[in-house]
Amino acid sequence: MSLQIDTIAYTNRLRKLPPAHKVGFAIVLLLLTYSSQASVQLLITVWMSIWTVVYAGVSATLYLRLLFIPVAFWITSLPAFVINGVERAQQGLVQEDVWQGIAWGNFYWFLSHEGMQQAGELGRQTIAATACIYFVMLTVPFTELIEILRCMGCPVLLTDLFMIMYRFIFVLLRTANELWIAQQARNGYRTRQRWIISLGLLVGQLLRRTLENYRQMSLSLDSRGFSGEFRVCHSRRYVPSKRYSLEAGLGCLGLVGLVGWHYVVGI
Amino acid sequence: MLLEFETVDYTYPHSSQPALQNLSLRIPAGKRCALLGQNGCGKTTLFLLANGLYQPQRGRIYWQGVPLRYDRPSLLKLRQKVGLVFQDPEQQLVASTVEEDISYGLCNLGLPEPEVRRRVAEAIVTFDLTELVERPVHHLSLGQKKRVSLADVMVLQPELLLLDEPTAYLDPLHTRQLMATLRQIQAMGTTIVMATHDLNLAYRWADWIFILDRGQLVLEGTPQTVFTQRETLERLQLGIPLILDILDQVAEVLHDSDEPMQGLSDSLRNCILEKLTDSYSSQRENQDKLTG
Repeated sequence: MSLQIDTIAYTNRLRKLPPAHKVGFAIVLLLLTYSSQASVQLLITVWMSIWTVVYAGVSATLYLRLLFIPVAFWITSLPAFVINGVERAQQGLVQEDVWQGIAWGNFYWFLSHEGMQQAGELGRQTIAATACIYFVMLTVPFTELIEILRCMGCPVLLTDLFMIMYRFIFVLLRTANELWIAQQARNGYRTRQRWIISLGLLVGQLLRRTLENYRQMSLSLDSRGFSGEFRVCHSRRYVPSKRYSLEAGLGCLGLVGLVGWHYVVGI
Repeated sequence: MLLEFETVDYTYPHSSQPALQNLSLRIPAGKRCALLGQNGCGKTTLFLLANGLYQPQRGRIYWQGVPLRYDRPSLLKLRQKVGLVFQDPEQQLVASTVEEDISYGLCNLGLPEPEVRRRVAEAIVTFDLTELVERPVHHLSLGQKKRVSLADVMVLQPELLLLDEPTAYLDPLHTRQLMATLRQIQAMGTTIVMATHDLNLAYRWADWIFILDRGQLVLEGTPQTVFTQRETLERLQLGIPLILDILDQVAEVLHDSDEPMQGLSDSLRNCILEKLTDSYSSQRENQDKLTG
């Protein structure tokens, strides 16, 4: 999955737009999701999804599958929000909040109105915020994100670490995959017992190879004249698009207006 | 002499066997050298020492007659002049996109940005990487990664290029492309040393051959002289290039047959070898024309 996201980030149709514009746009919308109006959150979710799926050309199935991840987390936390319990004697105090309830033992268990409202709010906000994050993840390659961090004054040590970690993730994934395939080819995962043994071997080998990789990498960094700071150059040209900038700008203004209007009406 | 090893010893920590033992070897300037030997004979260690990545425990290494020094500025200078291309490109590519990776060594030298850009752009054209410029390194195929790792080193314009098994895992097409690129590099005045297991390749390509065994230099010379030492080569389990083997067998057959054929075998052999050398050089010229 992570490889797929990475590939899309490098090949999507919005690749040529300046990354700072895309990140800025997503951050503005992310902040707007914190206003608690359902209509605004719903609009942001729909609009962001259109940007990701229609404008950037990300496959809708993949996008929905990705969106399902936070939704799954949300569903697992639902019971904690919605189900409440009080002692029998205090049942009267919560009567207004009860939607459905049963008495069981000394306790009175019920589904709470307030809890459901909270859960709904959380769900809407989660999905809207994730849609914004996914827009960045799927349209801006990681290296360009690091570059933005660097421009914003993030310490060099951190950005260097991010960069090397990013490179290592793929080496590690490849190594793990190769080991996994080699074990499969020799029936390493045939029975449950073998499965555990093989997995143990895989993890051990992975550690050993990671250390080896680290040694080789430091040799090659030295050989290429590494002097304590990881610096590279590129000549990427970004092409800002009037049409997209206009839509993003006007849309954001509209949403801010909507939030403001809700706020005024609320008072 | 470009680079000279003088009675060098090197043993890896925690290893009982020395990787290099009393090794003396001189790399002549302007040649195409091939370094042959079995796995574990010390080829890679020799390269790491030549690049100043390891320090010999005994003996000395000279660059253009001057002993290597291991302080930071001297090493930086040495590594600009001696370029090392590792066997596994995965360990050499450190940045995330092709263009950034090529610029890495230049940025380390502290060159001004316009200069870096200019040289990176040149290398991209020379090594035919235009289509890959913006690709992330982990999306490339092995052949492409090898090409990028060669560009990484050549962009620093080294005087000596060390290649650790450059044709390992490459298919014939990519090997041919690589050899064409190497010819181009040599034409620009760079000395090349290539560690390889491919005898046929070494025979066709090199004009000077080193044979290492258990950390020592056992044979050196032109391919013609080295590959006639059949007994030594067989003792080292290296074998000889296929074409020489075939010619020897032809000679044997002719020798065993009727009287009038004798004497013919040597002239036939020389004749075929001459033809082959001619055809290689004309092939070379053709390819140079194509790539040039």
